[in-house]
Amino acid sequence: MQIKHKIAAIILVLTVCFSFTNSIFPQDSKLRIISLAPATTEILFALGLDCEIVGVSEFCNYPDRAKAKQRIGTFSQPNIEKILSLKPDLIVCTGLEQAPVIAKLRQLNLNIFVSDPKSINELFTSIREIGILTGKDKESKALIDKMTYRIKEVNSRVSKIPQSERQKVFIEIWHSPLTTVGAGSFINELITLAGGINITADIKSAYSTVPQEVVLKRDPDCIILAYMGNLSPVEQVITRPGWHNVAAVKNKRVYNDIDPDSLLRPGPRIVEALDELNKKIYPDG
Amino acid sequence: MKRKIILLAAIFILAVILGILKGSVNLNFLELINRANRQILHLRLARVVLAIVASSGLSVCGIVLQAILRNPLAEPYLLGTSSGAGLGAVIAITLGAASFYIPFAAFIGAISTTLLVYYISRERGKIGVQSLILSGVIVSIAFSAVILFLLSTSERQTLHGISWWLWGNLEVFDYKLLFAVTLIVALGVFATYMFSQDLNAISIGEEEALHLGVNVELVKKILLFLVSLITAAIISVCGVIGFVGLIIPHITRLVIGPNHRLLIPVSCILSSAFMLLCDSFARALFSPSEIPIGVITAIVGAPIFIILLKKSEVK
Amino acid sequence: MDTLLKVESICGGYDNKPVINNVSLEIKQADFLGIIGPNGGGKSTLLRLMSRALIPIKGKISLEGRDLARLSHKEVAKKIAFIPQLTLINFSFTVWEIVLMGRIPHLSRMQPEGKIDFSIAERALSLTDTLNLRNRRIDELSAGERQRVIIAKALAQEPLLLFLDEPTSHLDIGHQVQILDLLAELNRKNNLSIVIVLHDLNLAGEYCKNIILLDNGEIFKQGSPEQVLTYQNIESLYKTIVVVKDNPVTLKPHVLLVPGNIKCKQE
Repeated sequence: MQIKHKIAAIILVLTVCFSFTNSIFPQDSKLRIISLAPATTEILFALGLDCEIVGVSEFCNYPDRAKAKQRIGTFSQPNIEKILSLKPDLIVCTGLEQAPVIAKLRQLNLNIFVSDPKSINELFTSIREIGILTGKDKESKALIDKMTYRIKEVNSRVSKIPQSERQKVFIEIWHSPLTTVGAGSFINELITLAGGINITADIKSAYSTVPQEVVLKRDPDCIILAYMGNLSPVEQVITRPGWHNVAAVKNKRVYNDIDPDSLLRPGPRIVEALDELNKKIYPDG
Repeated sequence: MKRKIILLAAIFILAVILGILKGSVNLNFLELINRANRQILHLRLARVVLAIVASSGLSVCGIVLQAILRNPLAEPYLLGTSSGAGLGAVIAITLGAASFYIPFAAFIGAISTTLLVYYISRERGKIGVQSLILSGVIVSIAFSAVILFLLSTSERQTLHGISWWLWGNLEVFDYKLLFAVTLIVALGVFATYMFSQDLNAISIGEEEALHLGVNVELVKKILLFLVSLITAAIISVCGVIGFVGLIIPHITRLVIGPNHRLLIPVSCILSSAFMLLCDSFARALFSPSEIPIGVITAIVGAPIFIILLKKSEVK
Repeated sequence: MDTLLKVESICGGYDNKPVINNVSLEIKQADFLGIIGPNGGGKSTLLRLMSRALIPIKGKISLEGRDLARLSHKEVAKKIAFIPQLTLINFSFTVWEIVLMGRIPHLSRMQPEGKIDFSIAERALSLTDTLNLRNRRIDELSAGERQRVIIAKALAQEPLLLFLDEPTSHLDIGHQVQILDLLAELNRKNNLSIVIVLHDLNLAGEYCKNIILLDNGEIFKQGSPEQVLTYQNIESLYKTIVVVKDNPVTLKPHVLLVPGNIKCKQE
């Protein structure tokens, strides 16, 4: 064989070996996870999966470590190319609003887990399943236990309050149009667990707009403002026509200092929100 | 003719009463006038006022645009007011403005957009009817795209805010704002009524109107200004309520004829009755939830429009 | 006889490009002037200049001694009624409502019509034989009926001058005669001055007292029908061979076309 043929053969063999070594001994043996929603990001971090997370959505801002992760697009428009380039082993996202994206990703044969809990029980199930998928079985059990413990804490405080003294609560998700939560939302469940009575619990859907006269008539004892984005001056609520007669306004019990993210994201922080809710609804314990 | 007007007036009064008595909260008449429910009564009255103001303003704007543009599909949002208002509101929400400022942002957005549309379509100082419609449509599409862009790149709070703009809402959060809008719309409608004669002439042709002594270019400019003002005021408080500005003019014309001296006031009565009935229906049926008013007017309005269309084809 | 409208050496057109060049003429009371000429010659433009729909670039037009350009549209509308070529009315006004609109120049903005206006409108309807159509909707009428209603509207303006831009080009021969007979009667009985742009040379010849032959924005020939409608004039302007004979009934000049005389340029 001539010299140049020998060199070509050596290069060919080395290339083949090199490409094989990559797959036999992968760079890192860790799972590569992408989270498409702030709620699921929080769950993943709570399970100790910091190193495994290779990409998050634009709005994933909790915990602080999440801010340092690669961004893969917005909540409603994740960047498919970016996702693919990060070679994820698992993509975690939430349900309805991200449905078209999920369909697209499934077509590309990616591993997808959808977490869309409508109740605290469903949230626990979600956390369990994520734990199993990511090999954090133990950690997920521990997280659920911790959360259950805190819920029980609140429950014991609440059970001491007689039914007749239960407070009526109005949660305002947005101001124009006036939007609140109904029975289909787990926030409703949180209110009940916190010992409050959601004045719009007879609305079947998760969220709905509601006319002011309903709030005036049902006269809540306590109003919680939970606008996303943290813009919720109490002023603009209490100066609405006729609202000065509402019990919550008269007794200065309009609160805007519960972190809306903890309330609205189905994740580990809902127990903090629950605690806060309980303290706001029953400030004297 | 007189009988028709009396009948319409009776329907209007009935609709007002219904609007006050029926709502999301179930109260009979005695309970309603009880001092304890005073605030709810006030809210209902305010809502009735807004319904009358919004629907009258929209239908009159529809009439004027249909006459000036000589196009039966013309409606108040044709000149870009709706997308301009939406853009103003979305920008304000994205920048984190308090809810107090959103109506003003919407108003400025609406007015600026109409000015832009007018500026684009000017042909040597004259208002070309075709280019006005065209630039209105183009600007609306462009701004809607910008709104979508902002929505997709911002947090979900804007999604909530945008449903106000997209589907309309008759809730009154600020009596001062209600007063201001009522004043603007009332003055605007009254001023428009003063041009009834000119509108009659223009609706048979711009050239014909010119030869009847109407200063067509000046009248068009004034009327377009009034229409923009009225529509912007309504949309900044109510969001987009569709169909009223499109079909009420046609229905009124079928009932009372095309003479603007009658058409304008009768359309106010008819559209108010329509809006109030839609609103009462929506609130009572889905209590305590609220279906956006724009959804109801569309659902009720679309079949009525199709029936009208079929009838006019048969003729 | 008083001069109602005096046109002095006007140049005018659209976008500052002159279509009409150096045209002068006078309209007196009870004149019946026809404006004819080849396509693009400026007939409609001239009529628009005379009715103040356009302002001349050069020259002056006086209405009863006053500068037309300085008058408001309303003041002009009280004296001059203009009937454009095609009136497309999309809205179903009644005939009565349409004719009443002729009173707009005489009413202030918020002023409703009064008894005088109603009687003038009725008179206009009777002059045009449209009284029986009074309550019908304009979009239900035939072309001929509609044209008479439009003329009634113009008459309701009580004008001194009536300008018409090809009012009969889309009507059949029966309606053409009907409309022009009406105009002739109004001219004869009511001393209404009429300026009419016509495509049909023979209608011009039959009905007009005077004719202006317009070509390229200038007056080619002006005078009585016998003076203007000669085969020499027609041939040189319209580039086709014609024969001019007298109508045996009316003795007015009649232009007869000769087919086959224009040869298309063959490749």
